[in-house]
Amino acid sequence: MPQLDFFLLILRLLFIVLLYLFLLQVIIAITRDLRAKAPVIRGRLIVVDKGPSTFLNLGDEFELKPETTIGRGPMNTIRLSDGFISTDHARIRNHNGKWYVQNIKSTYGTYVNREPAVNEVLAKPGDIINLGPIAFKLVQ
Amino acid sequence: MSKHYSNPLKTYRWKELGLFIIPFIILLLEMTQLLLARLIHSGTLNETSSLSLKNLPTIQGLIPVIGLVVSMVLVNIFLSIFFPKADQMLLPLAGLLSGIGVLMALRTGPDLSPPDPTQGTRQLLWVVLALVTFIATIVFLKNVRWLKQYRYILLVIGILLLLVSVVNAFRIKDFNSPTHDQLNFGPFSLQPSEFLKIILVIVFAGFLSERRDFFGGNELRFGFLHIPVPRINELGPLAIMLGISLLIFLGIRELGLALLIYGIFLCMIYLGSGKLTYVVGGLLIFAVMSYAGYTLLSHFHIFSYVGERFQTITFNIVDWQHWTTADETFAENAGLQIVQGIIALSSGGILGAGLGLGHPTFVPVVQSDMIFTGLGEELGLAGLFGIIAIYLLILYRGYRIAVQTADPFNQLLAAGLTSIFAIETFIIIAANMNFFPLTGLPLPFLSYGGSSLLANYIIIGILMRISHDTALANEREGSE
Repeated sequence: MPQLDFFLLILRLLFIVLLYLFLLQVIIAITRDLRAKAPVIRGRLIVVDKGPSTFLNLGDEFELKPETTIGRGPMNTIRLSDGFISTDHARIRNHNGKWYVQNIKSTYGTYVNREPAVNEVLAKPGDIINLGPIAFKLVQ
Repeated sequence: MSKHYSNPLKTYRWKELGLFIIPFIILLLEMTQLLLARLIHSGTLNETSSLSLKNLPTIQGLIPVIGLVVSMVLVNIFLSIFFPKADQMLLPLAGLLSGIGVLMALRTGPDLSPPDPTQGTRQLLWVVLALVTFIATIVFLKNVRWLKQYRYILLVIGILLLLVSVVNAFRIKDFNSPTHDQLNFGPFSLQPSEFLKIILVIVFAGFLSERRDFFGGNELRFGFLHIPVPRINELGPLAIMLGISLLIFLGIRELGLALLIYGIFLCMIYLGSGKLTYVVGGLLIFAVMSYAGYTLLSHFHIFSYVGERFQTITFNIVDWQHWTTADETFAENAGLQIVQGIIALSSGGILGAGLGLGHPTFVPVVQSDMIFTGLGEELGLAGLFGIIAIYLLILYRGYRIAVQTADPFNQLLAAGLTSIFAIETFIIIAANMNFFPLTGLPLPFLSYGGSSLLANYIIIGILMRISHDTALANEREGSE
């Protein structure tokens, strides 16, 4: 008949082993979760109508980050020193594969397909985003 | 796309149930070990007794754990029916911690001085109550936006609760106890500060999500250094609110709470603005003010406790062979708690003595403030690393839920709530290991204490509700 203290030793070791097995189980579930997620989507803005702008040209391309701010000010991701762009003009965000455009504080406004982007507006690839009189096409 | 009834077996929360299996086994085994240890201590058995069936504890002793297991399975079933898309890992993680907490409460209760034999059953009841509160939170939070809309009402409630405890503190006039924001209802006591934390996060999240753009304001330039500075008129009210609440907390000796609130504030500023410079600035202000406070305020008796608390950190425990008499007196009186705690941690070694087989009750207040050292003695370093890993995983899930939601308020709320967890756990574990003065904050899920359990399960409830709503929104958008 095995002794009690041997049994207790087994129990103690078993606790540690089970604890780490549980952690492993959770971590495996997490990695499986992460692999199922879609990869980060890259996007660009292409100038399709430069309007009265003197700074931009037709066909200029700008790379979009997961969160991009556009404006004349120095803290913006995309700096456009153009008279028609305000200091902090617009913000474009990628969330779970979708692009959202929002006006920050601009004199000439931000529009997605002619719709003003007061709150965040969904923009699909191919949509035209207007910063004032300058039109960009969203491309992925 | 027409709605079709999906196969309920497919949407069942199998992952969660699967993750529950090992925790249940762990809890059952540890309870058996506890009961055996009790039998050994009472002399009925000793280490050399043989392992036969008549020596084993009866099933009756396992009732607390079986009760826990059943309640969690019921919660799992409930969630599968009504909220199948919520995060499936938070509950097993929190459940394992709560289970270990109940076991420790059961274990330390009878050995305390004075003994508290019902501590374990009370902790068990609190866990069940907390699970009910968890369900209530998930169910009634139909629209997390409500929290945002009614946040000022919540703030008023929170402040009222706090005022009650401040008044209570002055009534009792016992400024030596580390926490006295307690409301007592007969045998049960409640700590309103636990809920105030949640309310403050909600208020901060609401404030910061509405003014996302006030951070992109002005700048200070020093040559090549561009330091973004928020607009003063917008930061003003927030800073005043913060300052007043911190002064109140320091006044009623809630050092831990003040640190926690300030830490949450810094975290949320960073999360809301993305600018690390604000955090650095905040930390600098904190360093300057705490130094000023430490030197200046030690002249004010009301704040002198801060200096005393910090004394324990500088005390050299390891070099005990060269202690002076003054050191020894300190170790027996003011420093008793932390010295015993460190000794407990070191005697635990890597594997620990085994639950029920050590002497954690040599450490004063081991059931709540010093629970980490008690666990260290019985579960060892390996057990402690495992527990820290569980906390880290909870933090990971919380932040992941925050990252995945689209709504800024939800994001800030989830991230802020997770940050409460992070800072709290960090402060307490650091305090238990003498890196930091003891603060009276409870270790989430493990510490004996009802309000901490309730508040933490409310946090988990809010997080899971947010994750459920996000998953639903993503499915809707995906099918458009």
